[in-house]
Amino acid sequence: MVGQARRAEPIPAEALYEAVRAAGVTDVVAVPDTHVRSLIALMRERGEMRFIQTATEDEAITLAAGLVVGGRRPMVQIQHAGLFACVNHLRGVAIEGRFPLLFMIGLLNRDPEKAPRDNYDSMVRYTEPILDVFEVPYYLLDGPEDVGQIEVAMQQALERNGPAAVLIGDQTA
Amino acid sequence: MADTKRMPLDGALEVLHRRRDDQVVVSTMTAILPWRGKDVTDRDLRCVGFMGGASTFGLGVALAKPEVPVWILDGDGSLAMQLGSLLTIANAAPRRFLHVVFHNGVYDTSGSQPVLAEGRMSFTGLAEGAGYARVARFDDVESFDAALDELLDVDGPVLVELMTEPLRRDYVRPTPAQERLPGPLAQDWPIVRDSLASA
Repeated sequence: MVGQARRAEPIPAEALYEAVRAAGVTDVVAVPDTHVRSLIALMRERGEMRFIQTATEDEAITLAAGLVVGGRRPMVQIQHAGLFACVNHLRGVAIEGRFPLLFMIGLLNRDPEKAPRDNYDSMVRYTEPILDVFEVPYYLLDGPEDVGQIEVAMQQALERNGPAAVLIGDQTA
Repeated sequence: MADTKRMPLDGALEVLHRRRDDQVVVSTMTAILPWRGKDVTDRDLRCVGFMGGASTFGLGVALAKPEVPVWILDGDGSLAMQLGSLLTIANAAPRRFLHVVFHNGVYDTSGSQPVLAEGRMSFTGLAEGAGYARVARFDDVESFDAALDELLDVDGPVLVELMTEPLRRDYVRPTPAQERLPGPLAQDWPIVRDSLASA
């Protein structure tokens, strides 16, 4: 999937929150991310979905996998740099372990005028290619009208017993 | 390292095995094979291929099923790869969570190379500093056996550092895979999930 050329817009935290809930997410396992901080604040404030913070993205993946064993439906929320940091756990746990895991990945510093692959920032530019290498399906959320893709990605993760991702194109409002 | 008193790994595992009931046990690296030699239940999970992940994997199970005790059979080299997990576990504060670290001083499965700062570092010190509820270190089977019931009774997380003898097995080169088969964790976790469904 190639990033869309349209301009990315901030998605209101409330809209993202509702879409995550609609996808049946019970727990959000996260490393703090400034890109979606308004969403994290909302999750912490409401407490309907359990918010679990980890020190590293590796831990976020293993912890989320453990939640799946216990019958929960978690989402891993990280930044693009965190994705690069945890690729072995993405491979060894989510893919080889065959865990249905939804990832929400913030594209911090993405130029909203450009498709992610066309960005000068290497963290933004390499995110989609990394997911392609690991055969992880992903959806770019570039505005409020895209939030329904979260449920699509979750269903895909459940059907393939593996990871699927949504990319947050612009900082959340 | 030669001066450190150590217990046999099998003796330490036997102490745990005698108390095995309905716990979910997450094992990794050196401990996997000897533990499975004792028993295999529908609550055993093997972590291979992502060193250091066993404890936070077990934490996820513990947070999903707080009433089910979770034991982690971790290694010194493994935990060294994910020291931040001590903070994550202390922060989540799972109540029925026993984190056993077999401290044998070497990377036993990769050719017995030494672990870092051996002789000067302590996993109990690290876990205590991270905020675990209780830590304890043992270098003989008898004192571990005598203390374990009380340690299983306190609110966790509890970390037990066991000074164990290295196995020093000859390195066996793995056979390259010829097809994409499910690995140990992919085989184990659906069984454990089903076992926990009614817990």
